[in-house]
Amino acid sequence: MASESRNLPLDRIVGPFAEMLLAADLPQLPPQRRTEVVQFIQRRACAMPSFTRFGVAMIGLFYRGLIGTPGGRLVARFLMSRSLPVLGEYPRLIRSLGYAFVWEHWPDTTPTGAQR
Amino acid sequence: MIPIPATTPMDAEVLVIGSGAGGATTAAVLAEAGFDVLIVEEGEWVEQGAVVPFSLEQMDRQYRSGGVTVALGLPSIAYTEGRCAGGGTEINSGLYRPPPDDVLHRWAIDFRIADLDHDEVRAIANEVEQAISVTTVPGPPSAPSEVLRRGAEALGWQNSEIPRWMKYADNDPAKGQRQSMTRTYLPRAVDAGARLVTGCRIDALEITSGRAERAAMTLADGRRGHIRFRHVFVCGGAIQSPALLQRSHVAGHIGRSLAVHPTVKLAARFADELNVVDDVPVHQVKEFAPDLSFGGSASQPGLVALALSDQWPTFSRAMTDWRRISVYYAAITSEGRGRVRAVRGLRDPIVTYGLTRRDRALLGSGLARLALVMLEAGADEVYPSFRGAPLVRKRSDLATMQSTFSAARASVMTVHLCSTVPMGEDTTKCGADSFGRVHGTANVWVNDASLLPTAPGVNPQGTVMALAIRNARRFAATERAHV
Repeated sequence: MASESRNLPLDRIVGPFAEMLLAADLPQLPPQRRTEVVQFIQRRACAMPSFTRFGVAMIGLFYRGLIGTPGGRLVARFLMSRSLPVLGEYPRLIRSLGYAFVWEHWPDTTPTGAQR
Repeated sequence: MIPIPATTPMDAEVLVIGSGAGGATTAAVLAEAGFDVLIVEEGEWVEQGAVVPFSLEQMDRQYRSGGVTVALGLPSIAYTEGRCAGGGTEINSGLYRPPPDDVLHRWAIDFRIADLDHDEVRAIANEVEQAISVTTVPGPPSAPSEVLRRGAEALGWQNSEIPRWMKYADNDPAKGQRQSMTRTYLPRAVDAGARLVTGCRIDALEITSGRAERAAMTLADGRRGHIRFRHVFVCGGAIQSPALLQRSHVAGHIGRSLAVHPTVKLAARFADELNVVDDVPVHQVKEFAPDLSFGGSASQPGLVALALSDQWPTFSRAMTDWRRISVYYAAITSEGRGRVRAVRGLRDPIVTYGLTRRDRALLGSGLARLALVMLEAGADEVYPSFRGAPLVRKRSDLATMQSTFSAARASVMTVHLCSTVPMGEDTTKCGADSFGRVHGTANVWVNDASLLPTAPGVNPQGTVMALAIRNARRFAATERAHV
């Protein structure tokens, strides 16, 4: 996994997970907006300090592997809903960045992501 | 003012690394004293008004790593650093507190700081207040600020408006212009002959037998080179200054005692619209200072969503009412300490911080007291920022809230970072001497928040500027005497 993290750009690790998380949290967010939010999250993740980026890549790879397995998405969503010390920080980070972007750019978005 | 283009190599009598509250004041004092000063800043020059305050665009352009920086720990503490001409003064709330006398007194004794004359520091602080136009808001406070005042008054708790470095055209509170370093000390430095180069990162100082002679640099376009100098002032802030010294193999008490004011937040909803998207409240509640203080945060809708995100399933519905919501914080003076470690091969240092048991308890009781202020001010609902937080509607909910609180589940953050190169003659706990010269070196000074021996319990930038000017003046007088 460590060697994979060296070869796999962080944006490609973070992107699918952010996509899944936003689809679950904000199901009515229009696809074009969701794409914009995911791109923002990817940019921010890539700008993080070196060590944090490495940690995010490691946990991101864990989740990436998980959601690629049968039933893995359900397990990932369960983990995302728990207050886990390290694994829980990753969805928290993605969620924070995503929500901040959504409501700064489209402040009248409803809590499900729909346009008002 | 436009920074000059970087060239390779460059040279200067005095190199100042960083252009924030420490670097800009240092550069102005030394340039006005006749030194040939070169200021190098890693970030870019951003004109005021070019970006919306507290926006994501501002974080992209003026914060280090887009504002996504964290001190690792349980819980990790999110922090922010300015990375632009003017440093943190361009992006913070601009609230000003003079250096507290009791804190200076304690520092002088505990860290053996020589000649820390309160009257001198106070006189310099008065100069600073003039130079950066410290003043209160003309007219009544903004609605989010009034909430703090009203809630505290109802409880009989001490509160006051904190003045800011701000000029108000036509005495209009809507026409405030921040008197940050790009408006004040940096132009003064340049007018006195200093040169400012932006987009220039200093990778390491080359030090031989305690004397630094060159700085290795990388420019924004990737070019590398070096800068020759006679003296260097490291003013990159409490994270970057110790990291640079460690990359330069400086030994001693460097980066071992990071001190911060950890904060926890809540959002509060009121009957009337009160959200101000581009400014922060100026009132603070100081009833429990210095251990605990309450204030207001930036509250544009993205940040309201952020404050609600820890308990999104139950709090998210409030987003439809964001115009009636504002975000507030409880800050503590922490007994915990952190570390900054530069690691070979990593561009950025690793930052860690450990809260003590007392810190965790204080964060919990602080958040509960802040929620009480909100209820007394008339809040309909209060949304504490921690996972598993209950909705608070009445006083009786506060006990549940405090018993549910856990610092490990809270979004803890800070904007006040200091104490990574403490000043003083006690080399067992100080990285620099009583005037900022790094112990064990002949010509390397630190002159920023790193020098503050502990977190001062108030907004620290006034103290940083006053001490930086004191130290720069001492340097100038000593050097000229040698000549």
